[in-house]
Amino acid sequence: MNFSWPSILLSAGVSAGLFAMSGCDQLPGKPKESDRWQPPEAIKDFKTLFGANCSACHGDDTSIGPSISVQNPLYLAVIPKDILRKIIADGIKGTPMPGFAKANGGDLTDEQVDILVNDLTSKAAQQTNLPPYSAAPGDANHGSEVYNQYCANCHGQAGQGGEKAGAVVNPDYLHLVSDQYLRSVVIGGRPELGMWNYQEFVKGHPMSSQEIADVVAWLGSHRLTNQEGNAAASPTANGSSQ
Amino acid sequence: MMTTLKNIALWFERRLHLVKLYEQTAGHPVPKSTGSWFYTFGSMTLTCFVIQIVTGIFLAMAYVPSAAEAYHSLELLNYAQPLGWVMRGMHYWGSTMMVIVMMCHMTQVFLWGAYKYPRELTWLSGCVLLVLTLGLAFSGQVMRFDADAYWGVGIGAAVGGRIPVVGDAVVHLLLGGPIIGTDALSRFFSLHVFILPGSLLAFVSIHLRLVLGKGINEQPKPGVLVKRETYDQYYHGIIKREGVPFAAIINKDVVANGILLLVIVALTLFVGPKGPGIPANPPLVIPEAKPDYPFLWLFAAAALLPNGSEIWLFFVFPAIAALALFALPFLSNEGEKHWRRRPVSIAIVVLTYLGVGLLTYEAIVGPWSPHMDAWSGLPIKAEYIKGRTPVELQGALVFQNMQCRNCHAIAGEGGHRGPDLTAVATRMTNPQLVRQVIQGGGNMPAYARNLSPEETRALVAYLCSLHPPNVPPAREAVGVLKPIGESSPTPTPGGNSVTSNQ
Repeated sequence: MNFSWPSILLSAGVSAGLFAMSGCDQLPGKPKESDRWQPPEAIKDFKTLFGANCSACHGDDTSIGPSISVQNPLYLAVIPKDILRKIIADGIKGTPMPGFAKANGGDLTDEQVDILVNDLTSKAAQQTNLPPYSAAPGDANHGSEVYNQYCANCHGQAGQGGEKAGAVVNPDYLHLVSDQYLRSVVIGGRPELGMWNYQEFVKGHPMSSQEIADVVAWLGSHRLTNQEGNAAASPTANGSSQ
Repeated sequence: MMTTLKNIALWFERRLHLVKLYEQTAGHPVPKSTGSWFYTFGSMTLTCFVIQIVTGIFLAMAYVPSAAEAYHSLELLNYAQPLGWVMRGMHYWGSTMMVIVMMCHMTQVFLWGAYKYPRELTWLSGCVLLVLTLGLAFSGQVMRFDADAYWGVGIGAAVGGRIPVVGDAVVHLLLGGPIIGTDALSRFFSLHVFILPGSLLAFVSIHLRLVLGKGINEQPKPGVLVKRETYDQYYHGIIKREGVPFAAIINKDVVANGILLLVIVALTLFVGPKGPGIPANPPLVIPEAKPDYPFLWLFAAAALLPNGSEIWLFFVFPAIAALALFALPFLSNEGEKHWRRRPVSIAIVVLTYLGVGLLTYEAIVGPWSPHMDAWSGLPIKAEYIKGRTPVELQGALVFQNMQCRNCHAIAGEGGHRGPDLTAVATRMTNPQLVRQVIQGGGNMPAYARNLSPEETRALVAYLCSLHPPNVPPAREAVGVLKPIGESSPTPTPGGNSVTSNQ
């Protein structure tokens, strides 16, 4: 029994000390308010909302998305706020962009959509004389010349792809993107991927709104018609369905 | 004065017989060799149980066993009640340690042959205590009433429902209705705070009575065999030669229990209580509901079992295990007690611990569920986006948008249900990828109806770009097959288009 009494006292002392520490707020075991679960609707922080809903396709400060960067200042300067809001809330039919508002089966409340829109538009470039977000369909014939002047250097002759960038007349690509998307990419560029914006293709000679519309029309003219598309869709030559 | 005090003491002694009680319990003689570190696990288990009772009483003062209030009462304990989180932490870690030290105790008793004649009933009552303790651990996990608890009960009920004939009745008895709500929670509450602890107290009493009555197992010596005819006399001889009062050799128990208490307090203060996690709300998407530590191995076993063998895991295996545990002292009633001469026993212990340990490890690290938020919240690393053609980029977009990423990682990030696709182009050709995407297979759903031909081709074009720069993509073993009589298709650059002539 000789050594057990000091052991008991030591244990009791250390336990009492640890218990006394339990009043201390800095203990790592004490549950923190920040760890407390909160419903998804309660998230009001732009970074968290953007990270959870947008970043995987559009990229963020540290990553590159396969689709256009919605934090591109030029893109944000061009797109009207109400259209940006509508796109986030309702999505764009016929493209991979889904509607994120609860009314469209998404997870975001109206307030959360507003947070995204307001924070994004605050990042817009402060430039004037920018081409409008959208324009009437252009002239595809003239678009061919525009392409050769501004785009062929990277995307190759007739849009078939060059050393610096891939083909832009691939029917599958054109089927999956809208004319508006093509226009937005031409205006804002993909700086994160090394693609210039409409002001930079030819130094000192920004593309005009009409030229952008024309080159988009030329690109669109490479889309396959439904019939051609269906023929191309069949994975085997004997036309078995997929 | 002294005489008066002595008379009072004697008055009580004549009625309570405290001296006799001391002689029969703390003062009863035990073999000196049992004053060993290996013999401390039993008292440690008891200490855990006492901690559970004390902290459990405090928790019950704040806890409301109703589906609507349980979660909030835990938040109250965690964030508002002074020391509420300490009580929760002590109760959680006390429970975890109770299962651990109880397993140590059982292993020691098994390896030391203490279950043999004449201590069969001590072992059997210990087996009942094991079942009761695991029952307490499971019902205690339900008390949190968060998603883990909810799905845990759901699985428990699903297993119960498979019992032949009485399955439905068992589920109804357990849940009190068709859903997991307040009725179910009150039933688990009654189990957790009345029925199981009450039964545990009763069986602890029986267990200790048997320990006192049949004596603590002496440290076995190799070659000394237990025989029913001679053992009682042998044990009596040991007590006579080297018997010491139990109270005189408890110093190691005191130290071990002190350390145990410190470990529980330290885990509480530095790791903290568990949960409550996501509330028990079925519409909330729970990517991964997991049970507490003592049941992780079972969770992993259920996840890894081949389809259709659940009946073996949930009924046949427990029945065999229970039968083996309860029959052990009768199957091996006499003979060698020392572990050095019982290789089969050592193999059983090693294999059991290896199995449980590996399954627990798998449960902790295993990719059990898709990464449900990856499609919208997990960007692909820049190096797997840069340098791609426009159509490949659209393919990457399809990859995210169709939630492929929830099951397939790229560069290790994403779901792990399916294969990592970081270098998929080095092992599959374009046509093979098209086939896999549209037909699925190997646990992957078919996407033919969910993808347009353009999306499929763009997606596969992107997948074909996933190979290290110094490793070429996989090639077809034969040339492109074509129906007889058709001209040869024009190969396309990079092999990215499967449909150039189709």
